[in-house]
Amino acid sequence: MKRRSTFAVTAVGAIAALLISACSSSSGTSSASSGSSSTTTTGFNAGITSVVNPSSKTGGTLTYDVRGTPDSFDPGNTYYAWVLDFDHLFTMPLFGYKSCPGSCGLQIVPDLATSMGTTSDNGLTWTFHIQSGVKFENGTVVTAQDVKYGIERTYDRSVLANGPTYYQALLTDPTYPGPYKDRAKNLMGLTAIQTPNATTLVFHLQAPFPDLPDVLAFPSSAPVLPSADTGTNYQLHPLSTGPYKFKSYTLNKQLTLVPNTEWNAATDPNAKQLASQIIVNLNVNQADLDNRLIAGDADIDAYGAGVGPAAQAKILSNPALKADADNPVNGFARFVYISTKVAPLNNLHCREAVEYAADKTTLQTAWGGPIAGGQIASTIMPPNIVGYKSFDYYTALTKPGGNVTAAKAQLAACGQPNGFSTNMAYRSDNPQETAEATALQASLAAVGIKLTLKGFPSGPYYTDFAGDPAYVHSHDIGLAGGGWGADWPDGYGFLDELLNGNSIAATGNTNISEINDPVINKLFTQSNTATGAARTAIWSQIDEQAMKDAVILPAVYQKVLLYRNPAVTNAYVQAYYGMYNYAVMGVNS
Amino acid sequence: MIYFIIRRLILTVFLLVLVSLITFAIFFLVPRLAGQTTYQLAAQYVGRNPIPSEIKAVEVKLGLNAPLYLQYGRYIKGIVAGTHYNNGTDVSYCPFPCFGYSFRNDQPVWPQLISDAPVTLSIAVGAAVLWVIGGVSIGVLSALRRGTFFDRFSMGIALAGVSLPVFFTGLIALELFSYKWSLFPNVHYVGITTNPLLWARNLILPWITLAFLYAALYARLTRAGMLETMGEDYIRTARAKGLPERQVVVKHGLRAALTPIVTIFGLDLGLLLGGAILTETTFSMPGLGEFTILAIQNQDLPEIEGVVMIASFFIVVANMIVDILYAVVDPRVRF
Repeated sequence: MKRRSTFAVTAVGAIAALLISACSSSSGTSSASSGSSSTTTTGFNAGITSVVNPSSKTGGTLTYDVRGTPDSFDPGNTYYAWVLDFDHLFTMPLFGYKSCPGSCGLQIVPDLATSMGTTSDNGLTWTFHIQSGVKFENGTVVTAQDVKYGIERTYDRSVLANGPTYYQALLTDPTYPGPYKDRAKNLMGLTAIQTPNATTLVFHLQAPFPDLPDVLAFPSSAPVLPSADTGTNYQLHPLSTGPYKFKSYTLNKQLTLVPNTEWNAATDPNAKQLASQIIVNLNVNQADLDNRLIAGDADIDAYGAGVGPAAQAKILSNPALKADADNPVNGFARFVYISTKVAPLNNLHCREAVEYAADKTTLQTAWGGPIAGGQIASTIMPPNIVGYKSFDYYTALTKPGGNVTAAKAQLAACGQPNGFSTNMAYRSDNPQETAEATALQASLAAVGIKLTLKGFPSGPYYTDFAGDPAYVHSHDIGLAGGGWGADWPDGYGFLDELLNGNSIAATGNTNISEINDPVINKLFTQSNTATGAARTAIWSQIDEQAMKDAVILPAVYQKVLLYRNPAVTNAYVQAYYGMYNYAVMGVNS
Repeated sequence: MIYFIIRRLILTVFLLVLVSLITFAIFFLVPRLAGQTTYQLAAQYVGRNPIPSEIKAVEVKLGLNAPLYLQYGRYIKGIVAGTHYNNGTDVSYCPFPCFGYSFRNDQPVWPQLISDAPVTLSIAVGAAVLWVIGGVSIGVLSALRRGTFFDRFSMGIALAGVSLPVFFTGLIALELFSYKWSLFPNVHYVGITTNPLLWARNLILPWITLAFLYAALYARLTRAGMLETMGEDYIRTARAKGLPERQVVVKHGLRAALTPIVTIFGLDLGLLLGGAILTETTFSMPGLGEFTILAIQNQDLPEIEGVVMIASFFIVVANMIVDILYAVVDPRVRF
């Protein structure tokens, strides 16, 4: 709040300063040159379950437009979903997600690594081997030391501020300062990772963590050649190990990639080198971008958040355009936290009354409807998470308009037969969440639950308001709008921060319901040692238990309307990202 | 005349220093008065989940914990001669003219401004030529044919031009001429040195859109000025002397009517060179306007500061040129 008001004063002042001074066809597609194409598959949503226009044709220019700018193209300094997807064109992290449509794309597979690694020391030590013969774009062979250095540099947040901080949280030696502080002294100084030879990496963990390969699927585990590291300027030309390399990059404006001649397809089966050039136009106006897509001037909106409202209407009303669109879930869930600490919602039956009474169709409409908003949710995890299981405890799917009878029965069991009053926090600068709060207020009123809406700005929402348990208790915040997207597509990545009792924090709390259910906590503990199907089963058990506890009211599994230029080949939605797989696309004339 | 120009140059430098002082105070003094600590300011450079020692290191490196007058001195030194950022273990150099480092990109601000400037320059200058020629011509003709269909029609169009915002006319222009009829397909910025023809072709719509707004304004101003001037006694005298009507209109009427137009033109062009925000956003042209929008969205103070300074520079210089032109036209201004 303070930062915003300060900023407003500054902005007004800047304008005042200006006033004082006043007082005195390159096209999106081009011809393909060689190769062959196989049977064309197309149609609305074809890209969710199959490869659209499968082809091995090479040549042509592939044009990506992006509505915004990247947080950084430095593989060690990014957290944006579209950049994580896009980075595979020029980086090879230790792991990745298998390049294929449908749920197959949720499968984690080795990328630079040769296998999924081995653990020892009761899960505290992981050993990985990397492929030999992988080269940087300058011809230098990649070594394990380069991978270690790539990870080391992410420790210095004053240089690389944007990426996740899992290494510091998981590995021993969490206070390692990074190689920039004293380059000569600390280069390769991270004791948590050892490199006994040029192809072996040994990671030492503070505690067992079965999802370590998922952490190593972030681009930050891609190798960085120490002599080529230019610190904050590395984003302008990261040394490629992928199928493409930087030809030119004007910060936040345009990136041009060309084939990396040192790349070997045999070492990188999850990426392809088809187009002879890839152009990325950044910070393109959304309306202009949508029109360029439909006109064929651009091939794909790499941002992956879907087309704007005007283009949605145009695409959905035109069968020819609709056949070139996909409407996948993008891995993000929208929901409402229900507090277990604020009376009378500390009573399970009162929480269940809210679950039953909510009109899910109006919540869906608030988020943009079934196409641009999402699919009505009955579980906490969305379908593109490993461990997802469909169930419906509160008739969200069978009676989406709300189940008044069941809600009233629960109110009676709760000792509040005429309803009760409570407050709901929401982000007032988010129009959809505001609409959601208003819709929920209306549907709960039908059973006598009086909801008073309390809007807060997004910036301090989790630090000062909904995410501050003391504030929640003192201001009787019974419900709070929320949403979640996992850093990797399994139940741990999605559920731990929301439902683990250990996640309750004094500020920045994401377990806003403050659920501390011993059953759930025990399942999380078991997940640290379980493997395979047994571990996957734990995620749905946690999801079901949390829904039985009625601590979250699911609204929608978020969906987006993506459009692909029909000239694009090998187009499909990579389930993990909920957007097209940019590493395998080509273009036809 | 020389003394006048020197005086104006000194005043221009003084104004720029004043603007820099105010801008600096707004970005670094006002937040402090509002309760923001230098530690919090430094935290904006370090991203999410930073550890306190890293924030402290940035605070020391950028000198944010130094007295404000020292920081301002360093800021001016950076602009004039470049500066070093140093916290003992981490040293980096920001070359002349240094406007600091972006919070978001951790890159010096000046090279970004410079790389954006050609886009804005291309849009603003091209549009300015169109609107001056179009606006003044229509204004003169309307004044000379006052009350005719042409006058009413052109002034009606001018009213529409003034009323319709660029993001509306721009989107309509794109929809019709680029997407529907494909007269200007795939509009995007191409550097003049890369392909001059494509540069001009892709800028025609932005030029026309922007010029439509300004030409309308200039047409109305010129018409009003001409109507007033053509009613003056000296115009009647000129006609009585037997001067050809063309000479009366152009040499005696238009010259006098243009004086206020020149003043406004200087200001308008100066402002536009600081960023044609709506035009650049509508046509997705990556100039100073888009840079400004991004900087504001990211609350990137050094970038905003840089934009304010460069926009101020253009406005002040444009004003100076206008003042000098005034002095040429009217010697009384020199004293």
